[in-house]
Amino acid sequence: MMRFTRFLKVEVEVVVGRHVLAENDAIVFVHPNIAKIAGIKDGDVVELERNGRVVKLKAKISENAPEKGCLIPNGLFASYLADLNEFKRFKANIEVSEGEVTKIEDILKELSKT
Amino acid sequence: MAITPMDIYKYLPKTNCKKCGENTCMSFAFKLLSREKKLEDCTPLFEEKKYEEYRKKLEELLKPLEEATETGLVVKEELCVGCGNCVVVCPVHVAEDPQGAGIGKGPTIEDPILRVENGVVKIVNMGKCRRYGKERILCVACRDNCPSEAISFLEG
Amino acid sequence: MICPGCSCLCDDIEIMNGVVRNACRRGAEIFLKYKENRSKPIVNGKEVDVDKAIDKAVEILKSSKNPVVYGFDTTPVEVQKLAIDLAEKLNAYIDDTSSFCLGDLVELVLKKEVPTTTLDDVRNYAYVIVYWGANPYHSLSRHMSKYTYYPRGEKRQKGYEEDRFLVVVDVRKSETAMLAKTNARYIVVDNDLELIDSFFKVMEGKAAKYANEVSAVIRELRKSDFNVIFGGLGLKYGLRDLKPFVELVKKLNEISPTYFIPAGFHANMRGFNETLFEKTGFVNKYSFRDNTSKDSYAFVELLKNDTIDSALIVGTDPVKSLPFEIVSKLKKIKTIVVDPRNSLTAKIADVVIPSAISGIEQSGTMVRSDGVRVKLDVIEERDVNDYYVMKRILEGL
Repeated sequence: MMRFTRFLKVEVEVVVGRHVLAENDAIVFVHPNIAKIAGIKDGDVVELERNGRVVKLKAKISENAPEKGCLIPNGLFASYLADLNEFKRFKANIEVSEGEVTKIEDILKELSKT
Repeated sequence: MAITPMDIYKYLPKTNCKKCGENTCMSFAFKLLSREKKLEDCTPLFEEKKYEEYRKKLEELLKPLEEATETGLVVKEELCVGCGNCVVVCPVHVAEDPQGAGIGKGPTIEDPILRVENGVVKIVNMGKCRRYGKERILCVACRDNCPSEAISFLEG
Repeated sequence: MICPGCSCLCDDIEIMNGVVRNACRRGAEIFLKYKENRSKPIVNGKEVDVDKAIDKAVEILKSSKNPVVYGFDTTPVEVQKLAIDLAEKLNAYIDDTSSFCLGDLVELVLKKEVPTTTLDDVRNYAYVIVYWGANPYHSLSRHMSKYTYYPRGEKRQKGYEEDRFLVVVDVRKSETAMLAKTNARYIVVDNDLELIDSFFKVMEGKAAKYANEVSAVIRELRKSDFNVIFGGLGLKYGLRDLKPFVELVKKLNEISPTYFIPAGFHANMRGFNETLFEKTGFVNKYSFRDNTSKDSYAFVELLKNDTIDSALIVGTDPVKSLPFEIVSKLKKIKTIVVDPRNSLTAKIADVVIPSAISGIEQSGTMVRSDGVRVKLDVIEERDVNDYYVMKRILEGL
């Protein structure tokens, strides 16, 4: 399937913070500046990658995100990408993707005892 | 999103015939927005064929006002987290509930303008709001202190 | 009634004809949905009788060589005391979420390294109000309208436009920062040390990166005799070493009395810190075997370093809040979860024991972020609650 070349993989600053409404959702708040650079539209499914781990989240354009990146609400998806040294603020790669967002069950499967 | 008197005036007869009880069509436009007059008060709009298009346009333009609260304050509930800023900054609440909403608590008066119910702000008694009625003041305290811009006024 | 949703512990909640009044979204959801997503007693994937689940937990803890007792920030002080007794009996580690959250900041206050005050005094007297690395809009939703910027107070009768000065320090324009309009400043930082350094430089009359903003804040500090800084996760993770911040607070007090209150989210995190501090002199990450506290005794470190072989996790959800590589280690140990809800951690635990929701189904004392103690209400008492579970486990050992 042809990929539009105007969608870029961009390195972004990710901040993790509390969110009353979205802590159980696969969502990421993307700053308008970054949305423009990476070709992200409100509602797009995007892929965030860090140190080999990938999550797919639904993008929402928001001025509350850091200017050079995005904000992921506290929760399973943020925890999946973070590590102890860079817990609430780290760099990751963002790219427009397709398909469904990551499911909670998929991550839980990796944590269950076989 | 906000409707202004000019938006309304555009589709009025502009004859200043005074049949609605106002001296000018512009004055009628203002009163329509503040709900002091109804569209039906402008009888030429309904009686004269040449104004049919204008009447239809006005009915469409004024529909959101009807669908919103009695007085045009709209709360986007999906953005509201119930922080209570709007309840506490309201100058009417400060004046009438100085030991309740005025000092940050939930309103202790029977009929506040706003109150957080089930986690989102609800309009309880718009009649007290200073934006509406005969001596309206363009108070924007609740809207300007909403951190997520959940509150807006239809008439600007 | 009291809302158990966060460390604000708001005391003006009413329920009228099934409608929850005054509680924010987070708090209201607790009252409206407390019967949803409840946990069931489980042993190794199978549903059992709750007393069987407790017996299994006792069995695991008895045969464990290095257990940890973890969580408790959503349980009352009285349950936290039982937890400490349990950890002592087991010679175990004991920790709560404050070890990766705001334990350091609470410790500063308890050890009196920074002056502190109450939220009520803030409302009555405070002029300059600083939120440093905190976004109360989402973590403590009613904080600003109930206690700080917006309400009138005894010496703050003219309201936020004239009688308060808001300062928001953050790495991005949060919802709270959006409110810094009139009589306010939003200071965007990339490195919090640079801002602290700017304060010192400006006070010495030197040039600094944030000279403009800092001068404005100092000008306002001089106008009053009561100011407050609320510190959140952004401050803790922005600095790692809090010494420069302590020095700053000291220096600011030379200009005008400036108090500090930790802006932690969890309803009773401060309760845990105070209760453990009373007994041991430490606020978290404690070992009853070594009778001391070390960084390596934090729950995350115990998991990371494979120090523990079992964990009793009460009222918290590490699978949700801790980094993946850390919680992957839960696979290697025996896990017992005590929780009213079917949390993510409960879904993968060896033993699950259902308990009660504080402030709805069980009473007790909780400590607000400023140290003020409140007594929780009960709407529907539940027999199998944290007290029952903890006591039964203690008896079984």
